[in-house]
Amino acid sequence: MTRLIGAELFKLRKRLMTRVLLYVLVGITIILYLLLLAVSKIAIPAHGPAEMGEIQNLLGLPMAIPFALSILSSLGSVLAVILMASSVGNEYNWRTIRTVLICSESRFKLLGAKLISTGILVLIGLGIGVATGFIMSLITTAIGGYSFDFSFATGGYLWDQFLQFWRTFFVLIPYVLLGFLFAIVGRSAMPGIALGIGILFLESLVTTFMRLAGGWIAQVPDYLLAANVRVITSLANLPQGFSQGMGIGNASAQLSGVTHAFITLTGYCLVFVTLAFYLFHKRDVTA
Amino acid sequence: MESHPDSREGVDIILRTVGLTKRFGKLEAVKDLNLELHKGEVFGFLGPNGAGKSTTVGMILGLVAPTAGQIELFGLKLNKDRWAKLRRVGAVIEEPAFYPYLSGWDNLEALARAIGGIPKAKITEVLERVNLLDRAGDRYDHYSMGMKQRLGIASTLLRDPELIILDEPTSGLDPAGTKEVRDLIPQLAHEHRAVFLCSHLLHEVELVCNRVAIIKQGIMLANAPVQELLMKGQLLQIKVDDLGQAASILTNLPWIKSVKIENDYLIIDAPEDSASLVNKTLAEHNIFASELVNRNVSLESIFLQLTGGESGD
Repeated sequence: MTRLIGAELFKLRKRLMTRVLLYVLVGITIILYLLLLAVSKIAIPAHGPAEMGEIQNLLGLPMAIPFALSILSSLGSVLAVILMASSVGNEYNWRTIRTVLICSESRFKLLGAKLISTGILVLIGLGIGVATGFIMSLITTAIGGYSFDFSFATGGYLWDQFLQFWRTFFVLIPYVLLGFLFAIVGRSAMPGIALGIGILFLESLVTTFMRLAGGWIAQVPDYLLAANVRVITSLANLPQGFSQGMGIGNASAQLSGVTHAFITLTGYCLVFVTLAFYLFHKRDVTA
Repeated sequence: MESHPDSREGVDIILRTVGLTKRFGKLEAVKDLNLELHKGEVFGFLGPNGAGKSTTVGMILGLVAPTAGQIELFGLKLNKDRWAKLRRVGAVIEEPAFYPYLSGWDNLEALARAIGGIPKAKITEVLERVNLLDRAGDRYDHYSMGMKQRLGIASTLLRDPELIILDEPTSGLDPAGTKEVRDLIPQLAHEHRAVFLCSHLLHEVELVCNRVAIIKQGIMLANAPVQELLMKGQLLQIKVDDLGQAASILTNLPWIKSVKIENDYLIIDAPEDSASLVNKTLAEHNIFASELVNRNVSLESIFLQLTGGESGD
């Protein structure tokens, strides 16, 4: 298995797309910070001192890591789905699946190696994203003329950020596994990317409508991905409006418990990964 | 296990299939296939499009699950500890497929890392062997078809396999490249390996293979040493004045399989060494042959005869 993980990392490392995804992540994080800085400097009549204060607060050093992780939980999901689905699906697109399989110890280990290697790269991406966010916070603090005060960096604070880092990684996994599953089902990268990202965006919209419908239908989103992801990401205690990542719906008012969210998301992950392994194991690999 | 119809005593068996069958829904792609491949042998596996060749190769390599039957590699059943056996097999199935964004070298390195225990010197060695070392740093998607084929062969050699499976290894190669690969194949077998060669170039198979099997619609039509097959297919070509009378006389003989007239000649499918008997029979009817020669038959004509004229692939 270690050999296969090494081979997968080698291929991902050599691939231009991996670097492009990383550049997109870093680029968008930088742009978001610069936009917030610009907004914080412009006096918008509709914004009262409270809103302006929240924006300036986001740019400050204490919020740098939680805010970066909030960006990563949404943008990172999209990029991680693309990385995962293309890692599996392109083996079919390039017809290298048979070449790889006859050089692999087993199908199970090959898929396992793909999951682990992509997971490693996603973690590296999260680390780079957080570092970018922190550096941008330093820059915007300097440009904005705010104070450099590191007294917030207590043990408790760092522990909270450590937990939030893993929570962010955890909420990416269901979408990544969804992309993984559909790349295998569709024997191509495209179904994995389309469905992984499609569900990421559409589910929040569907959730909003279901909540509006009321009755038992309003309870259904509690068992879907988006609402439970939101429960986990909201633990970052970001200001209202910045804690929901890509989520469009106003579902925060009816959030279910953290344990429920954790169990539901873990359940989805297990179903996606089991189905993917089962299909890949059972299916004949023909031309 | 019951004795194999094709087994030879005292020969190292690299690959054996017994009653190998694959059904895709109602379609029976491979039916009760019995094959044996021995050490040092180049085995040609021929058949028209959709004959079941790739399905058979897929089953041998564990890519396709057999519906029935058994596969043995190196004397051991494939379904137990599969990797221990497949690690000793190198294969290029249909056209070679590698990562387009990697160089030839990096493609081999990725495979070497997955297989494990392959030093970088081995990559240099195999690239040199297929004459691709000077272009090893170029991206795979910039390679010509011939270079891709050669990289495919290099990839099979990475793990010093005892069995090499090559599916159309000369496809897309120019005449010089074809000859290069054709010369390489017997060399590979002489290094105590066995080569399982699927090719539609029947002349090429005739030149490099010791033994061939021909399948059509999943059923094996022939499985014999090339020379034996060619001998079986040998015809007698006779020139006489009265072709019609000679044909009617010979047609009545029970040991003559077929008689036909072709360009002022009688073409007779008769047992080997029957030329003198045919001559004697005609002379007894006052028909004297002015020409009587053995007409060599190519593997291609045997293939076409067995498969009903379908082109190979």
